[in-house]
Amino acid sequence: MKAVGARLPRYDGMGHVTGHTRFVDDVRVPGMLWAKALRSPHHHAAIVHMDTSKAAAMPGVHTIVTWEDVPLLEYGHLSGLGIPADEPLLARDVVRYKGQPIALVAADDEETASAAAAAIEIEYEERPALLDVRLAFDEDAPKIHHWGNWYPHFEEEMDVRQIRKGNIDQAFEDADKIISGVYRSSAIEQAPVETQVGLAVPEPDGRLTIYSCTQALYFSLGVVAAHLEVPLNKVKIVGGTVGGGFGGKVDTATDTVIALAAQKTGRPVKWRWTREEEFLASSTRGPWHMEIIDAVTNDGWILGRKMLTLHDSGAYARFSPYGLTKHSFHHTGAYTIPNLHFDGYVVFTNRVPSTAMRGFGVTSISFAGETHMTRVANELGMDPYEIRLKNANRVGDTSPNRIRYTDPSTVDVVKAIANAEGRDLEPALAGMTRATRSGEMLPPHLVDQLDTSEGSH
Amino acid sequence: MKLEVNGVNREVRSEPLTPLLDVLREELDVTSPKAGCHAGGCGACTVMVDGKPRRSCLIPVAAVDGASITTVEGLGTPKDPSAVQQSFIHHYAAQCGFCTPGMVVAATAYIDGGGSDDKDEIAKAISGHVCRCTGYTKILDAIAAATKQTEFDITIIAPDPTTVTIGGSE
Amino acid sequence: MSVDVVIPESESEAVEAYGDGSDITVIAGGTIVMQLLNYQRFEPSKVLLLAHAGMSYINMPVKEQGQNDGSTVTVGATTPLADLTVLASPLGACAANVADDEIRGQATLGGNLCSPAPPEHPSGDLQGALIALDAMVRSTGADGEKSEQIEDFLPHRSDRLALDVSFEPPASGAFAAFRRPHAHHYTPLAVSGATSADGTVRLGVTGAGDFGIRLNAAEAAADDPEAAGEASLTDVTMADDAIISGWYREQLLPTLVKRVLNEMKDGS
Repeated sequence: MKAVGARLPRYDGMGHVTGHTRFVDDVRVPGMLWAKALRSPHHHAAIVHMDTSKAAAMPGVHTIVTWEDVPLLEYGHLSGLGIPADEPLLARDVVRYKGQPIALVAADDEETASAAAAAIEIEYEERPALLDVRLAFDEDAPKIHHWGNWYPHFEEEMDVRQIRKGNIDQAFEDADKIISGVYRSSAIEQAPVETQVGLAVPEPDGRLTIYSCTQALYFSLGVVAAHLEVPLNKVKIVGGTVGGGFGGKVDTATDTVIALAAQKTGRPVKWRWTREEEFLASSTRGPWHMEIIDAVTNDGWILGRKMLTLHDSGAYARFSPYGLTKHSFHHTGAYTIPNLHFDGYVVFTNRVPSTAMRGFGVTSISFAGETHMTRVANELGMDPYEIRLKNANRVGDTSPNRIRYTDPSTVDVVKAIANAEGRDLEPALAGMTRATRSGEMLPPHLVDQLDTSEGSH
Repeated sequence: MKLEVNGVNREVRSEPLTPLLDVLREELDVTSPKAGCHAGGCGACTVMVDGKPRRSCLIPVAAVDGASITTVEGLGTPKDPSAVQQSFIHHYAAQCGFCTPGMVVAATAYIDGGGSDDKDEIAKAISGHVCRCTGYTKILDAIAAATKQTEFDITIIAPDPTTVTIGGSE
Repeated sequence: MSVDVVIPESESEAVEAYGDGSDITVIAGGTIVMQLLNYQRFEPSKVLLLAHAGMSYINMPVKEQGQNDGSTVTVGATTPLADLTVLASPLGACAANVADDEIRGQATLGGNLCSPAPPEHPSGDLQGALIALDAMVRSTGADGEKSEQIEDFLPHRSDRLALDVSFEPPASGAFAAFRRPHAHHYTPLAVSGATSADGTVRLGVTGAGDFGIRLNAAEAAADDPEAAGEASLTDVTMADDAIISGWYREQLLPTLVKRVLNEMKDGS
């Protein structure tokens, strides 16, 4: 037990500070080819014609990988969970975001690869772009996805993630005030200092070794093998040294395409993105549009919440249905609201596909929910600490998806914040604990939601 | 062209306008300076040119023909790490490690130049360096400590008296 | 694509190699051009690399007792910004405000003077201070060598090779800038002021437009810093970019002008 409670030096610290840690771009193998992509210059366009022959014939060019080379063109990160895929590894007939990869050139050096990518003959028919989730449901909105403009595959083939709890109509009837707010968060690039990079090395036994900056090594292994239609044991991924990810390296950005290039050429292929490509085409934290309407009483109880969320997924679904599901489970935040009516949509736009970033799906509702709590307090003329403590999750309260809270920390956290701010709370509030509701803190509207079972989840 | 890299004289054959960063990494296989942006914006490529910290991505190699270049490999080794390197380990200032080579070079230059443990001054000295992991606090701590101290405990596992017990409150 | 790189070893070699300046790209410190080359933004056919041309110097006559303080300071075009930070305000303070130590050690006075305005944001961090100092620029180009006032030089700066800059040390000077916690590769907004020996006040701004601008209306109202601040808005059409919006620049500029004028009053 020497390590428990001890300060352990990082196992990789010495390598980091002396420059000996080998990141993917530091790996050198003989005979390496360099890759550059042809990317869509348009937010939304049909590819009406593409001819790679002249580019492929340029001196120093070894291969050009296009959609035709991919055994299984569409495979999603959530395919393993039965969620259908919607994103081609390389664009086939449509490009749906600016920067979407269409072809990958492997050449003797990056300069040659760039020149060849630029020399690929391609003709687009530009289409109107959809860049604002709020317009996605309009009849005349550009249609950007074969699924329509929003994701249709929540369980039971629903196109909306719903939460229904309690009796929402009764809550709004009983309310003294209806208080609403609209909250929007913007896209954020994870911006790791190491840009997307990968190196695929074909081994003499027919296997592939991929040096990857992935944050999710086994995800990547499955994704690469699925696209290539090879068993998992044909691919070995060397990872674990990630120059920052923050969610932006969960999606498999380079590994599969360079694997194909390495297979085609029999040579190692490295593809490293410039900072510009990283900002242009790598996935971001998704933007959210959130509308909250609360039914509240004058003494600060939140009886019910109606909420509509539009999650801007960008051009493809990736992890967004999962993110929205998390969001829906957390849409009351750290507070207990017994009557709920939540509708959430994963909306497609012609923006870069969004993906993981530190608590994705949850940070958005934390921002909206906490801002809204303060708005409710202000409109009621109430202390924002009091409204939070009153409605705080307590042992035995249930979450929007009916999970019993066994040890919620809201009360302690709110008190700690008050303390840090130098606020003296009224004795009744200061003495509050996370223990199961009773007395004044168990008004009639909260009785039915309680789960009195002792079991934990 | 010639460069002295970490004490070793090297011939350079790259084109004269090749950034020093690419010469070090691609031609000379000195991979500690990192290519985070190739535009001077991140500081991951910082090396010392004749003892002064510089963004190697913005220097055409011909401009430093004959100069002495020191990268983080030249400041200390895993067997014999410098005070700054030890302090970075001790204070957990290296997290993913990608900005670390540039940070350590900049910190070393700051301390070599007589920099104090004033956190505002240190922040100015590393203001061109981007770190996305630490929030900079640990890096400032590490540099401040290294201005005062030359040896740090980087191996011993000992219970930390400031450890907070988690859970079971009240 | 092979580039013809000329590396002169003296100013006269540089002048000769520059010729009339057609089809030639000048690299002094490299902080501007190298980014563009790294991202293949353009392919120069001929590059003049000034790193070894010996044009980095500051001639600052030592002020001796009884001597007048009008001794001209002359700064060579490839002098790095770091070397300028020791000079009196506004130029010293202005140079110290640029980016960070590493960039200042590399970026040069001449590069800063001749920088073409990138499309995204203003450039030329030092230009405001040099305008305030009524600096003279000696340069070469199509019609040979000439010296001219900085305001005349700036509009045709991309056709000239700057050789040196000279100015009289001001009786008083001040500098005020928009501050941000992280170093940036250009100055978002900064105001420089200088009072000459005869008491004339000059004001220059960096970061408001494509290049440094003289604040004529503000100068005319210099006796009343408050009024001068307001007047400064009539001198410029504000740049607008991702780091700082045009609206925010408009809120800031009067304050910076006021600060500079007050500081010069206190200092003289």
